[in-house]
Amino acid sequence: MNAIEVTKLGKTYPGGVQAVRGIDFEVAPGEVFGLLGPNGAGKSTTVGMLTTTIRPTSGTARLAGVDVTKHPLAARRVSSVVFQDSVVDRALTGRRNLEIHARLWSVEPRDAADTIGGLVDALGLAELVDRPVAGYSGGERRRLEIARALVSQPRLLFLDEPTVGLDPRIRYELLDVIAGLRARSDMTILLTTHYLDEAERLCDRIAIIHAGKIVALDTPAALLAALGHEILELRVSGDVPTALKALRARGVAGDDTFAVGSTLTVPLHDRGGSDALAAVEELGLATTAVGTRKPTLDDVYLRLTGGRLAEAA
Amino acid sequence: MTSLANTAVLPQPRRGLPSLAPLVTLARRRLQLTARTPRELVVPLLTPVMFALVIAPALKQALHTDGHYESYVALGTVGLLIPLNTMFAGLGVIVDREHGAQRELLAAPVPRALLVLGNLLVALAVTGLQLAVLIGAALARGIHFSASTAGVVWFVAAALLFAIGMYGVAETLANRVPKQEEYIARVPAIAILPWFLAGSLFPIDALPSGLDWFAKVLPLTHGLALMRYGLLDDSSGLHAIWRMHSTTTMAALSLAVVAAFATVLTAVSIRVFTRSAVR
Repeated sequence: MNAIEVTKLGKTYPGGVQAVRGIDFEVAPGEVFGLLGPNGAGKSTTVGMLTTTIRPTSGTARLAGVDVTKHPLAARRVSSVVFQDSVVDRALTGRRNLEIHARLWSVEPRDAADTIGGLVDALGLAELVDRPVAGYSGGERRRLEIARALVSQPRLLFLDEPTVGLDPRIRYELLDVIAGLRARSDMTILLTTHYLDEAERLCDRIAIIHAGKIVALDTPAALLAALGHEILELRVSGDVPTALKALRARGVAGDDTFAVGSTLTVPLHDRGGSDALAAVEELGLATTAVGTRKPTLDDVYLRLTGGRLAEAA
Repeated sequence: MTSLANTAVLPQPRRGLPSLAPLVTLARRRLQLTARTPRELVVPLLTPVMFALVIAPALKQALHTDGHYESYVALGTVGLLIPLNTMFAGLGVIVDREHGAQRELLAAPVPRALLVLGNLLVALAVTGLQLAVLIGAALARGIHFSASTAGVVWFVAAALLFAIGMYGVAETLANRVPKQEEYIARVPAIAILPWFLAGSLFPIDALPSGLDWFAKVLPLTHGLALMRYGLLDDSSGLHAIWRMHSTTTMAALSLAVVAAFATVLTAVSIRVFTRSAVR
């Protein structure tokens, strides 16, 4: 049985805004699955539907075989969420926040105490946990929220943009924490992010979601392989469509070439980088910079989402 | 920080039997949050206590009324204390939604109605405490009550049901307005205006024609008439509403009105909360 099964899932908000347009995906038990997309792509709406705080308007979603619409309590029993924003009782201590989660998820008090003790140590919260959360830094609150989500030892963990708004040091600390979760082979993780390095580092498979639709779904390596072994990148000083037309006519650029502003990114596939550079020179294109490099997940993402990452960042 | 791999060896949690435990947990959480917000405990008490201990004796002296009027106004201030306190409790719902852990609670495997009921239990407990302070202060000030056991039961039933209904109003409003400022702007119209019309300071017979009919449909009017019947053995408020001979029948009818208010507003507040919680 899959940990998550999503079939033609859709959400149209009152007023007609189609946030999610009939998406399909499955996540295997123990898999770390990434939903990658720019702001407004439908990631958080998808997580909202899976965690029963948003009602789907079409399709079905199952968590560990449980239909989230028909049996929301059972679906919530097997899952926990770390939200995009800080969602804690700031006036209460960290420990009290953890205990409330344990009680609501029906963890026996003695087990809860043991689990909380283990998580507090593992997440470096020992010196903080008996203080009111109002005094925690952003990173400390995030660690507390991750600990809280793990208190009930969920079969499914939803991490909705867990590192957004954090400074780079804390962000890398948290990535390390999340990477550590992979050691728990019995837990399935669905991570949403618009940070590509996070997805590449943490996820077994990635679904790229754009304008409410999944536009690609594969392993990071397979998504990268689709762009070939090398990329030609030109910053054009003249008209971008004209330059693109010339490159296509010369057989350098294919259909998967894309532009972000004045920068053209050309996946080379079978052609060599030096050949491509020579062709650009022969064409006499007006450029301010030109070079070749290895493809990254950013290229995959920008090609599929029409460069919207730049707007989102 | 050590590796999270350690958590892999943590004991698998045993699930307890379904029970009232989630409701107790939610109520304890709300109580702890309320206890850390002295504003919710103290501020609603200030105006009613001032009315009972300062305004009522001053009115008695200025208007040359007897001691009964002090008692009359002291119980009338209960009709101010309950709406003010429950409306202040409603602020906690907005704080929870905007800055607190409401979304975590919505993701919990418990019926969402329990979130409302947990808040309600604490609002009732705090209201009960404040009523005890108000009555105790009035007694200490020498204000007289003449209560039998049955009278106390009428008083408690009326106060309890009215507080439940008013918390329903507060919870409903808190889930309908987006911001604290908008919520606070509505408090005077809901908590204070009806108080002037519900026989708090003077019998509703003294109201201009038309307004007395409006007063008769206010749950607060029924609640205050019952409370005075219970603690002062004064059935004039019930007579002013029902104009019947049997005091017990009138009291039962007014209690039914307040009970209906409590039931309907609790149901409405749960429905509004659960609908607003799921988009």
